[in-house]
This record gives sequence, structure tokens and C-alpha cells, in this order.
Amino acid sequence: MESKIKVKDPELGPSRVDGRLKVTGAAKYSAEYSVKGVTYGVLVGSTIAKGSITSLDTRAAERAPGVLAVITYQNCPEIPGYHTPDQPAKGPLKIFLDNKIYFNGQPIALVVAETFERALYAASLVKAQYSKDGHQTDLKNNLPNGIAKGKDYVRGQEDAYKSAPVKVEQEYLLPTEVHNPMELHAIIARWDADDKLTIWDKTQGVKSTQRNIASAFKIPNDNVQVNAPFVGGAFGAALRTWPHEIAAVAAAKLVKRPVKLLLSRADMFTSVGYRPQTWQKIGIGATTDGKLVGITHEATGQTSVYEDFTEGVVNISQLMYASPNVNTKYKLVSLNVNTPTPMRGPGEATGAWALESALDELSYALNIDPIELRLRNHADTDPLSGKPYSSKFLKEAYQLGADRIGWSERRQQPGTLVKDGWLVGYGMGAGMFGAYRSNATVTARLQVDGTLVLQTAVTDIGPGTGTAMAAIGAEVMGVPVEKVKIFLGDSSLPPSPTQGGSQVTSTVGAAVYDACSELKAKFKALEGGATSNDYVQLLTANKLPQLEVTTVSKSGAEMGNYAAYSWSVHFIQVLVNPVTGVVRVNKAVSVADAGHIVSPKTAASQIKGGAIMGIGMALMEEALIDHRYGRLVNNNFGDYHVPVQADIPQVEALFVNKPDPYLNPMGAKGMGEIATIGVAPAVVNAIYNATGKRIRELPVTPDKLI
Amino acid sequence: MKSKNPPEEPAHEDNFLESSRRDFLKHSGLLTAIAFTPSPLVKAAQSGLDEKIADLYEKVPVSLEVNGVKHQLSIEPRVTLLDLLREQLELTGTKKGCDHGQCGACTVHVDGHRVNSCLTLGVIVSGKKITTIEGLAKGDQLHPMQEAFIKHDGFQCGYCTPGQIMSAVACIREGHANSEHEIREYMSGNICRCGAYPNIVNAIQEVKEGGQAV
Amino acid sequence: MKQFQYSRPATQQAVIDAINKPGTKIIAGGTNLVDLMKRGVTAPDKLIDINHLPLKNISIGKGGLQIGALALNSVVSEDKLVLQNHPLLSMALKAGASPQLRNMATVGGNILQRTRCAYFYDTTMPCNKREPGSGCGAIGGYNRMHAIFGASDKCIAVHPSDMCVALVALDATVIVQSKKGTRRIPFADFHRLPGEHPDLDNNLAAGELILGVEIPDNNFAKNSYYLKIRDRQSYAFALVSVAAALELDGNTIKNARLAMGGVAHKPWRLVEAEKALVGKTVSAETFNIAAQIAIQGAKTYGGNDFKLKLAPATITEALKHASGLV
Repeated sequence: MESKIKVKDPELGPSRVDGRLKVTGAAKYSAEYSVKGVTYGVLVGSTIAKGSITSLDTRAAERAPGVLAVITYQNCPEIPGYHTPDQPAKGPLKIFLDNKIYFNGQPIALVVAETFERALYAASLVKAQYSKDGHQTDLKNNLPNGIAKGKDYVRGQEDAYKSAPVKVEQEYLLPTEVHNPMELHAIIARWDADDKLTIWDKTQGVKSTQRNIASAFKIPNDNVQVNAPFVGGAFGAALRTWPHEIAAVAAAKLVKRPVKLLLSRADMFTSVGYRPQTWQKIGIGATTDGKLVGITHEATGQTSVYEDFTEGVVNISQLMYASPNVNTKYKLVSLNVNTPTPMRGPGEATGAWALESALDELSYALNIDPIELRLRNHADTDPLSGKPYSSKFLKEAYQLGADRIGWSERRQQPGTLVKDGWLVGYGMGAGMFGAYRSNATVTARLQVDGTLVLQTAVTDIGPGTGTAMAAIGAEVMGVPVEKVKIFLGDSSLPPSPTQGGSQVTSTVGAAVYDACSELKAKFKALEGGATSNDYVQLLTANKLPQLEVTTVSKSGAEMGNYAAYSWSVHFIQVLVNPVTGVVRVNKAVSVADAGHIVSPKTAASQIKGGAIMGIGMALMEEALIDHRYGRLVNNNFGDYHVPVQADIPQVEALFVNKPDPYLNPMGAKGMGEIATIGVAPAVVNAIYNATGKRIRELPVTPDKLI
Repeated sequence: MKSKNPPEEPAHEDNFLESSRRDFLKHSGLLTAIAFTPSPLVKAAQSGLDEKIADLYEKVPVSLEVNGVKHQLSIEPRVTLLDLLREQLELTGTKKGCDHGQCGACTVHVDGHRVNSCLTLGVIVSGKKITTIEGLAKGDQLHPMQEAFIKHDGFQCGYCTPGQIMSAVACIREGHANSEHEIREYMSGNICRCGAYPNIVNAIQEVKEGGQAV
Repeated sequence: MKQFQYSRPATQQAVIDAINKPGTKIIAGGTNLVDLMKRGVTAPDKLIDINHLPLKNISIGKGGLQIGALALNSVVSEDKLVLQNHPLLSMALKAGASPQLRNMATVGGNILQRTRCAYFYDTTMPCNKREPGSGCGAIGGYNRMHAIFGASDKCIAVHPSDMCVALVALDATVIVQSKKGTRRIPFADFHRLPGEHPDLDNNLAAGELILGVEIPDNNFAKNSYYLKIRDRQSYAFALVSVAAALELDGNTIKNARLAMGGVAHKPWRLVEAEKALVGKTVSAETFNIAAQIAIQGAKTYGGNDFKLKLAPATITEALKHASGLV
């Protein structure tokens, strides 16, 4: 089956629809709206990790010039949603509810003042006394306290790998990583009436934020207007409605003026989630000719004491390869930390780090090329469900990437390839993520000036959703892409899913397709429409200013017959200095089987960006807590390293670019997650190939290689 | 011998602003220049109500030329150029990404040189010419670097983009865009979390090789 | 940030009159001071802006190359005289911070920049440097970036500058002025070891203004190298860094200078290792021997144990580059 959207050269294609606004500084992010009478909020965090506040002295802050209010648990306006009878035992942090402290940095006050400077200074004057309890923040020390979450998975025989002739059994540790989008989380909250609210908010889903805020303040959904036309990156960190958002809305109620709350970079480490530190153990065994006998995958991740956060860390071992025997266990340890949240490739990126490392270790134990080992264990049908795949072109992806990186130059014997005094190594890692389509509604309108307007509530946090919508709309309607105008990130627009889980192009793109198809049909039905595609002429002839449709688009039932996944393979060439342990990623090639590529230019960027995040995961990212105090010691961009320009080579993004016949009319599958899943192990595997040193605790900093 | 560095730092913030303002008023040379007796002023300041008096004594005059427009302002000395641009002049194209000189999102040009506006106090740059992202295009005609960023997709979310572009323009003007390697090093003060780095390098190389005036 | 008074005294003399008061701080580039003020680590009552003082010149004088205290790091790193005479200084400067920060940071400010120790920066943590008597958070805590030389049980912080590592290697002198007149401080004596008073970073006296630095002529321009090892390729502080300068006569080392960054409370000159190089033939073995001498007496604190390996490795590598072996 062909894609119903034309195939274009992935390197070409239209530029971003919002490019001009972004390069001129005209794109406005949540803290940047000029709202009359706005005041400034600054959070004060706790300085202990567990216990309770015994006294809170806010007098000095309240007396400081320009301060309008200091909001604490003692005076916070009631948040009715916190007090409904159906409160679960565990759940999101209820900000300013009581004097209990669950983690270091937990907000204990919100200072609101006339200017940012005054609020920031007054925040330093808030003094708290605590009654301290013994805290636990160290996952490694608390592994024995892990509590199983969900049912253990067993396929075939448990721990079958142990009886295999060749086996690897190793532990892998991933530190806490923080999303750290460049835009700090921010909200401006303005009450327009006692039960009516407008917010400009950093969120991945205006509709979910609307529901959450409405339910917290017990007002109708429609009375909450959420605006997020531009979101400065999120990677999962803006999937939820966070306590600081509730606090800003409550504060605006208290001071009876709009409140702008822009988190600090330090706040970003304790207020909007992170990828949780996770311990994993993999046992993997194979026959001497490299057929998998069994995989055992255990993982224990950290969560907060007030809320469970689970992710599919071990799922990838259940379905990535055709192993007859697989068993997995997943546990959580509750610590005095804030709750994690999905971060790009949630679960799978963590799981792939262990699985793809273990597979690499197995390939050396077997002395089989790592790609060959994967080919010998390629799953032709979904091992988890037994269903056929809707589409899977992973073998083509291996080939494309191996050719591009120059895999034939790789030496099977580690530490033997040297260039200009640097050790050279090649590594690869694969990834997968479920391909989904949910429901979305799109309004499509063709105006007499020739403009095609597409509207839906979805946000575009950077992947180029608007650009993909424009490409699909232009293609279906047969209008130039420059004539398409996109409106999104607004809760008053037709509903769309939250931006996340690699489902938006599939879902919203399909809705655009359906809406435009319907609009086209409506034109056909016009006088003269059967013979002409000149919409402007048809509108003029029929004396119409525009034609508009609003279409609800849903996935077909036939998807139930298939297992749908996106697949990726990442190839890395590293140079390692044998003396100083410095690692340079010299080449990076990522290949995606993400179905048909709807918006080639933005898709390539998304894949490259995901690879770069994976390089950071492999080489430098790690949030560190001093367990004596239970407090982060590197909660800033100077000490928590993310890649800079000098760390990154020309990353290449390749696409198999074959449509998925079933998922949606475009044949597109998601790619946001697979862009990162499998990258970190590819880097670590390349380092092993270069040096013979196997690192099982990320990140691989120079000290680990000397 | 007493060292100047570090100088005396208050161990605790026990001097709240009322008292520091009182001290300030006492010590202020300005005070003698105005026909006021100190005591009512001090009282007014202590009461924390009279913002006008606070303005008079805690703000300093600053003149700036931003994107060719002259501004005469009165600001607190602690206001950074970044917050001045964003919160007082409504020039929000310059971004706050870390507020501590660790990300480059706030990069602007001061007298033609790229700096982090988050670590630049507004008073320090009084009398200087500031160029922000809003001042780069000539009317509707984009700067070649802006065009190249669009063409090469040198951004995704767009938040680091103004800083990247201001830095990229400076990178070429400084003569630091002679190779991919050099561009990478001289663009390393601008973090992009979406990972647009390779595309940014391509955009800069194109502008550099295109030889257009930047 | 606490509110403060700001003034810009018209002359150098007026600046010197103004700075000799408690609670007063000089601001130049502000890259470190404004950051510390934002975090509440320091809270001056008054800032004296000296950016307008005529201390930006780079010129050849009687005692060698003179660089004004207000010369920008970026300007110094690209200056012709610097590149010709002391390329090591240029390399060190370019290894530090980012282009934007180097466009703001001055030579004087770079010398006076404070440690990047996380415990110093977080006002809720113990730190004897920030709050004498509160303890040292880094001892027993995260000390991966910390000192292996000259630390005390009060403080194991390191001086973060790259520029200073080159300046100490190049035998620079800091020239300062106060009401009492001018004073010349050898670079190696400018910064202090923490001892009992880690709150004092250096030996600059109250009321003294740095006018500039002077680097004596030398024959190191052909064979010098600055190597910085860090957790990412740019825009990061050093795990360790090495300034290596050699004067070669054919294959024989006539004269040598070695200094390290990221290992002590001050830029750390390696005099004994230098001695071990002089008169020897350029070879990896010569360099290894010197590198092993260099780390004698090093003491580690757990998180920075790796520096016992990384430091000599970096010294050897830097010497190889300086001598042309690589």
C-alpha cells in the first residue's frame, strides 16, 4: 500500500511554518505575554529532604518593598481539588497544603511582588525552621527496598539464559537525567472573573492543563482558557500540570492580579520531573551460533514517597528480539525526591541502554558482529502479542546505517584501530517505541483569499507539528504550502491529544488529512466543483467567503489486528584518547523506520536532536544528590552538563521512508522517542570497541576510561 | 592585613531592606542635595509604603540605545540587561534560559560584541548600543543569518534561537567561522537542548561562504 | 539579589578612595560577581564600576608584556603581541568559559574569580569559604572537581581559572595600587592556599586595585601548550588542566615551565617537575618521569581519586604537544 501523501526527498521539503517568528524573536513563549498589571512570583524551596516545617517567618519578606504576598501553607487560598472525598492515598504533590516536607527543594512559599527583582530578593528573606526526619535519597543503598510494580512477565521458561552455552549477566546503572528544555517552565495566571481564568502556560497539552486546572479550582473546563502557541522544548517535562502552576493560579486569586511565575533553572531540577535513576540487571544467553536462548531483565527505578511513577523499562526486552524465553521484573524504590516524569523515550531509553549494551557484550562473547547477532534474532512477528507487524523495516535500517557509518572499517577486536594517536571504535544500538494513533479534531477552512486555515488545540514543542500539518493539508488540498495557516496551542480550538508519546503526527496528521478530504468533497459538491480545483474561483462563483469543516478523526478498528512500532538504529564512531580518556563522537548516523516521512526537513532535525540527547545521556548527564543532605549539588547548567556545539559532529538522519499501511492515511509512524532510544548504548558500545573497556554506569566521563 | 577579596559578607541576611534602605538614605550623598530632612524619609521608607521615594533613592538613570531606539530609563542597579529588555522594554526575543551565564539564550550585542545579558547589569551598559534579535532584520528583510537558520532548520522549539543567531552573527564578524571545527568551538556558549547543532553549523557556514555582509 | 548602591567614580584615584570601605565591591565584567550576587553568595552594599578606567592596554614595557586589568579575555586571547610572545596565555584563555563570557570578563576579574565548588554556591550547605566555621561540604561529599594539592581540612576547593594557570607558568607579576602606592606581587604568591582561612582567596589587601599583569620575556613561544580535560569539549571547568612551556635546544630541554589548574586552591606551579625536565632530552619517558614527580604529595578525597592518574597523564600529553612529539 502506498502513502496517500507524496514521497519527498528527506533532505528537502518545506521549512518550518513558524520559522520566521522564531528567528526574529517574535514568537512568544509563556512568560512573554504583556498582561496588564502583572506581578512576579518566585518560589522558595525547602532546605531539608524530609520532615516538617515547625515555623515559617515571612514577616521580613512581606515587609520588603514591592511585596504583595507571601503564600505558604498557612495562608494559601483553598484549592478545592485538594479536598474532594476521592483523594487517592498517593498522588501529585499538593502544594502549600500542609507543613510536611517530602524532598529537598519542595516549594514552601511563593513570594509575589511588583517586580521580579523585588520578588527574588524577598524570597531570600523567608526563613523556615524544620523538624528533620531521616531521609533516604540513595537508590543504590535502597535497592533491597524495591517494591514490585505490575506483574512479572514470563514467556517460556524463567531464567533460561542460565543454561545457554554463551551468556552475559551484568548490571547497568543509569543516573537521574533532567529534561532541561531551554525554556524555563513559566505560567502567567489571570482571573477574569471569580470562576473564569486565562493562563499562558508552558504545557505539552492545553486540553489536559485546562482539565487539571479546572478540576483543582472546581470551575467548568470551558472557563479556563489555556494558551501555549509556542513551547520552548519540553521532552516530557510539560506533560503534567505541576504544583507550581496550581500555586500561580492560587496566588493570582489571592493578590487579585495576574501572576507570572517563571521557574529558575535550579527549580527545573525539582519541580518538573526527570528521568529516574534506574538500576538494571540483564542476563542474556545464546547458542554458540548466536540464537538467543533467553533474556532476564530486572529493573528498579526511583520514585517519590508521595507518588508512584512507573515506566516501561523492561518492556523492550519482551519484544525487541525473537527470544523464546523472556522474563522481566520491575520494581520501585520510594525516596525523598520529587516525582519523575516521562523523558524522551521514557522507559524504553532506559531499558535499551541495558539491553543493547548486554547484546553488544554477548556479541563479543560469541565473536559475532553485533549487527549479525541482531539479524539472527530478528523478530518477524511481534513476540509479545504474536500479531503481525503493521510495518517493520528494521533490517533495511541496519543496512542503511552500516553503509553510511562505514561499518566495514570496524574491527571486531577492541582496541586495535588507532588513528593519529586516538583509539577508534564503532558501536550501534537499536530502539523501538509503540506507534499509536488516537483521536483528534481539526477545523479546516479555505478562505476566498486562497488561504487554507487549519486549527486544532495541539501544541508544537519543537518537532514541527504545525509544519507537518501544513505539508499534509497542502498535499491533500493541492495548494502551495505557503498558503496554509496553522493555529494551535489554544484550548479553545478543536481538541487534540497532548504532544507526547510519538503519536501526534499520526493522530493530528490523520485528522488534517480527514478534514481536508472532507473539505475537498465539500468543494466538489459546490456548483462547478466537479470540474475544478480552483477553490478561490469556486468560492467567488458561489458567493462564499469561505468553506469550513470540523472533522473528528479516529483510528480504524483494523489496527487491533497488528502490532505497530517505530524502529530505530543508531551508529556511532568514537575517538578515545588513550591517555586522557577524552571521548569524541566523531560520526553519528541514526536511521529511523518511522513509516512515510511527512515533513522531511523537520523530521531529520528531530532524529538528529534525539541522537544528540542520547549522546549527552551516554557521556555527560547526571543529576547528583549529596545524600548526607538529600540535596542536589549540580542543579544548574554549569555543573549538569548537556552537550554543547563542540561535542557534536555532523549527525546524519536517514529514513527507510516506507509507509505503514494501516496506522493512518499518511503511512507515518512516530519518531520523537526512537530518536533517542538506543543511542546511549551505541556510544558506550563504540567506546568498548575503541578501548576494550566496558562501562556499565553512565555517564562515561574521562575518569572512567583512564 | 585585611583582604579585599572576599570582602566583608554579611553572614546572614539580618539587614532587611528597610534597614538597608535606612542606611542607604543615611549615607546617600544625594540626600543632602535635596531639600528634605532625613527623618520623614526614613519613616516613609520604613513603612514600606512609599514606592515613589523608593524609586527616587534606589533607582538610577540609564540611557540606552536598543536596536536604534534611544531609551531614558530609571532602574534599580540590580536589574540585569536581560530583565530590563524583557520586562521593561517588552523585547522578549532575548531569552532567559538559566539566568547565570551558563546557556547563552540571552546573548545580545553590546556595542557590536556578543555578551550574556543575564550577567550584565543595566547600569553598566548605560550609554551603549544594544542590538537584540528584534533589531537584526531590516524591516521585512531578514538578516542573512535568519534566512540561513530557516533554510537549514537551525532550531526546533526556537527558544535558544535568538541567542544562537546573535552569537552566530558575532562568530562570523569576529572571524571565528573559518572551519566547522572553529564554528563549533565558538558557538559552544549557546546551548540547544533540541539538538539543532549540526544544522546551526551548516547555516553559519553558508552565510560565511556566501560572503554577504553580516 | 539585595539592593545596592552603584557608582562610577570618575578617576582611578577616586576608585581607590571608594573601594576601601566595608561592603564595597568592584565590578568590571561582572561575570562572576553578578552570578554570586544572584545566588546570595555575596551581597555587597555598594558596587564600584571601574569599566571606564584606562586599564585596557596591552603593550610591551621594560619588564615585558603588560596587560591592563580591564583588558577583556577575548581581546587578550586574540592580541598580536600575546599570540607572538605568549601563545600559551592565548590558548588558556580560549579554553575558558564561552565567547560571550570572554567578551565580558576582564583579566583582573579572571584573577579574582571565586571557586566553583557547589557547596560554596549553595547557601544552604556548609562552606568555610562562604561562611567561616560552617564546615566543608566537599570533604565527605561530592569532590570530583576538587583539590589534590595544598588543601586543608577547612577547604578543598580549587581556583577555576585557566588564564591564571598560564600566567603562573609564565612567571607573571600582578601590579596593584592602593592609597599607599603601587605594589608588585609575583603571580605564584598572589593566590593563597586555604589553610585556616579559606574565606581568603588571595593576598590582595583591602583597598588595593589590580592595575594589570606583566609577563617577562621568555623563549617559550615556540613550544608551549595548554591542555584542559573536562567533562565536555567546551564551556566546562577543568577536571585538570596543564600549562606546559619548553625552551628547546634541538632535542634538549633548556628551560621548562609547568603549571596545573583544577588541582589546588591556587594555580599550581610544578617547580620540581620543571627541574626534572631541564637538561633532559625530549621523550615520552622524560615527560613521564616529570609527571610522576609532579603528583608527589598529592592527596585525594574519594571523588577526585582519579586525578592521581589523570593529572600525570595530562602533563605528559601537554608536554608532548608542547615539544612537538604529538
